Amino acid sequence: MSPLLAVVSSLALWVGSALLVASVAIIRPRRLYALWDDLRDRLWEIRKPLAALVVVLIASAIGRSSLQTVSELFGLQLTWAIHALEGDFVAWVQGTFASPQLTMYFSSVYVYGYVFLLAFPFLAYLALPRTTAVKRLVVAYALNYAIGLTLYTVVFAYGPRNVMPDMVTSLLFTHNPEFMTLTGEVNEPTNVFPSLHTSLSVTVGTFAVLTRREYPLWTPIAVWLATSVMIATMYLGIHWLTDVIAGTALALGAVYLSCRLVDEEV
Amino acid sequence: MTRQVSRRGALAGGFAALSAGCLGQTRNIAGRDRSSQLTLEINAPPADRDPNAIRIARHLAENLEAVGIEPRVNTLGHTDLRRKVLINHNFDVYVGQFREAQPFDPDAMYGYTHSQFVAESGWQNPFGFTDINGTDELLATQRRTDGSERSEAVANLQRTLGQLQPFTVVAFPDPLTAVREDRFESWTNRQPLSVGGLLGVERAGTSGGGVSRGGAEGGSGTADSETDGDNETVDDNETDGDNETAGELIDDNPLTDGDGGADDAATLRLVTTGERITQNWNPIAAEYRRHGTFTSLLYDRLALAEGGEVIPWLAADWERVGDSGIEVSLRETDWHDGEPVTAEDVAFTYEFLRDTSMGNAESPVPTPTFRGRVSAVERATAVDDATVRLTLDNVNDAVALRALQVPILPRHVWEERTGMATIAGFEFDAETTEAVVTNNENPVGSGPIRFVEAAPGESVTFERNPDHFLVRASAADGSTGDTDGESTGDTTDPLAGIPERFRGKPAFARLEIEVVGSDVAAVQTVGDGHADATVSNLGPDSVPRIGREADARLVTGQSGGFYHVGYNTRRAPLSNPRFRAVLASLIDKQALVDTAFGGYADAAASPLAATPEWVPSDLRWEDRDADPVHPFVGESGSLDAETARDRLREAGYRFDEDGRLLAPGK
Repeated sequence: MSPLLAVVSSLALWVGSALLVASVAIIRPRRLYALWDDLRDRLWEIRKPLAALVVVLIASAIGRSSLQTVSELFGLQLTWAIHALEGDFVAWVQGTFASPQLTMYFSSVYVYGYVFLLAFPFLAYLALPRTTAVKRLVVAYALNYAIGLTLYTVVFAYGPRNVMPDMVTSLLFTHNPEFMTLTGEVNEPTNVFPSLHTSLSVTVGTFAVLTRREYPLWTPIAVWLATSVMIATMYLGIHWLTDVIAGTALALGAVYLSCRLVDEEV
Repeated sequence: MTRQVSRRGALAGGFAALSAGCLGQTRNIAGRDRSSQLTLEINAPPADRDPNAIRIARHLAENLEAVGIEPRVNTLGHTDLRRKVLINHNFDVYVGQFREAQPFDPDAMYGYTHSQFVAESGWQNPFGFTDINGTDELLATQRRTDGSERSEAVANLQRTLGQLQPFTVVAFPDPLTAVREDRFESWTNRQPLSVGGLLGVERAGTSGGGVSRGGAEGGSGTADSETDGDNETVDDNETDGDNETAGELIDDNPLTDGDGGADDAATLRLVTTGERITQNWNPIAAEYRRHGTFTSLLYDRLALAEGGEVIPWLAADWERVGDSGIEVSLRETDWHDGEPVTAEDVAFTYEFLRDTSMGNAESPVPTPTFRGRVSAVERATAVDDATVRLTLDNVNDAVALRALQVPILPRHVWEERTGMATIAGFEFDAETTEAVVTNNENPVGSGPIRFVEAAPGESVTFERNPDHFLVRASAADGSTGDTDGESTGDTTDPLAGIPERFRGKPAFARLEIEVVGSDVAAVQTVGDGHADATVSNLGPDSVPRIGREADARLVTGQSGGFYHVGYNTRRAPLSNPRFRAVLASLIDKQALVDTAFGGYADAAASPLAATPEWVPSDLRWEDRDADPVHPFVGESGSLDAETARDRLREAGYRFDEDGRLLAPGK
């Protein structure tokens, strides 16, 4: 089995099982049945935001390599500036906290936890009687990607593991090189500013807080996972603190905009 | 601070000064540019692409900061880095590797440091270094002279370069490769991934067959394979009889039959972190070539340097004619598109590399690579279809042999590329031709491998060229061997001069190169059995993994590609050799060998350290703890910043009260 296929199938297996368990525990069977009966109508109802997200994702998949070239040739080379701004913070994080157990925890959160974190709220909000939440979520995802991709193109920078390998170990890829085949498929090493892992996780976390009445159980789980992903990006040496802060700002902006764009149903 | 206050005071009292008639002094003060802290940008590839270079850059940055210079480590992919340094000359400092994969002749320094190349872009003199009476003279002398006279010139050249430091040699890395030997074996310990190394590889269990196929005489070939008969052949040959085994292997050769399964078994799979070979196949493109191994397999050269010897390759033979001529007779072979390789192509190549516009441009547009080599050739003319005469610029044999080592290009392809480079029909840069900037898709060479397909950034596939002289002549030799008998003299052997291990090669039917994310991932891929060998450099994190992978083995060799710190001597204060000398003494080469290379490198002071016979004893590193020219200021990795500052003060540089080095007039 090719390494990529192996990683993808293990990802599908684990995230699939987690989704199943979480659906039963958090969404509850009653709502799930209702969702199943009404699935077609609800998807039709959110077709516009969904189409927007699909367009952004396709554009990203097709345009990524040419945008990367543009970034290489004309982007602002800001690796040194980011490093100068925050110093050796990431090295400090690793040097202070690194342990095999934490590395294992953050590696799985970064890959498995993250995918689960993004997938579950889509299901959960789609199961709600009103579609406002799921529309907003999808719009916020699209905004994150679109703005993130633009910033990737404007800013050409490498992450700490690439810049100071003497102080920051590339923990994820050193211990699990097979993950590199996966991340290599969806990302370039120069796409560090902002951290999309952070921005999408914080987006989900923020929505989880906003919808705490509907899914009180989900709120603490989402906030915990989102925070873990945020820390993981730095702990694993992939992102700078600056990227994480920018990612958080992007997330809050995207949530705000999505609420402005999608009105509350009456 | 004091400067600022005094200046502000002068400005505040401006009117008073004016009325007092001191206008002159105010102007004299206010008109001066203020000094600010010196900033140096250090360009290096990121750790994923080159795990060693970034560590050198970081080490230098740390020590620059300690002496009051603000460092900016700028990470750039190899292609962008070379574009910035080699083409645009828009850099302060870079960390990189020399082009030569193997130990090289001293004349390699000609293109690298001669001042005649300062205005050209490419691998020639990227430093903008000019030392007319010293370096230039010595470079010219070592080209003309022989024997002890040349040795003397080369020794003095190294002393001069050591003194003036246009670049600081850091270390010669061991070219480390993780290989697995279940499918391919005979990875040489000289240069596993050189042209010769890849051609020398045998399919596991069939090494005897390979040798006997390539053997000049059928009889001796079988005799050779006798020893291999002991090896268990993994292939489906159950017969142990010598002759039969040899015969079977020829018939059973998966290269000739189209069976998919067999094809797969005969595919050599390599992994690299460099995506350049999946994007560009132009043998003269400076941005995309490191050692040019794969383009050398695509494009034959007249001669091939391999493990210290020069092998007649596309040239069957050559002889010096008179003082300045060399007459080269070519082997019979074809381009990948079926056209025959002629003397016209060779003559064209030398003319073309000298001026890729072939006279179309206002002034010549020379090749960005191989420039030093072709500068030794004044003229190339085709005598007949298979003979070329090169008129040399009064150079010795060693330099003449280097001049034979350039990729020979098909005239009918490259003649079309002599026009000015354009984007969508517009000329952007009047100094570049199409030939220099083309990605050369579907390359047409004459080499032992042919291009098949590529997914840019991901992978590239080549296949064995069945019409190459290595294969064609060996096959022909086998069938006509009876008529010729044993007396295959040197003149009739179409593979005269070609070592046994290359005859009938390559042993693989296909060559696949896959791009992976980092050196660690590359080693893992080999360990997991998804690839046979790693191509790109391995760092201190990945080397220990090789030992842990059961089937992977570490193979190393001798490299000529020394790591160095290059300075842009066009820019002050890097233009000052005294300043560069202090920078050189901020680099603890021995500590870097231990940390950045995990011990797999040799610290060096001279760029010729890989060929110790050329290095005078006062420049040799061996049995020394410190650099013989610019010893590290400090002890085992920790810098003595105060002493370093004193050196800078002695050289005429000043510091502010916070210890920051002031860049004059910035």
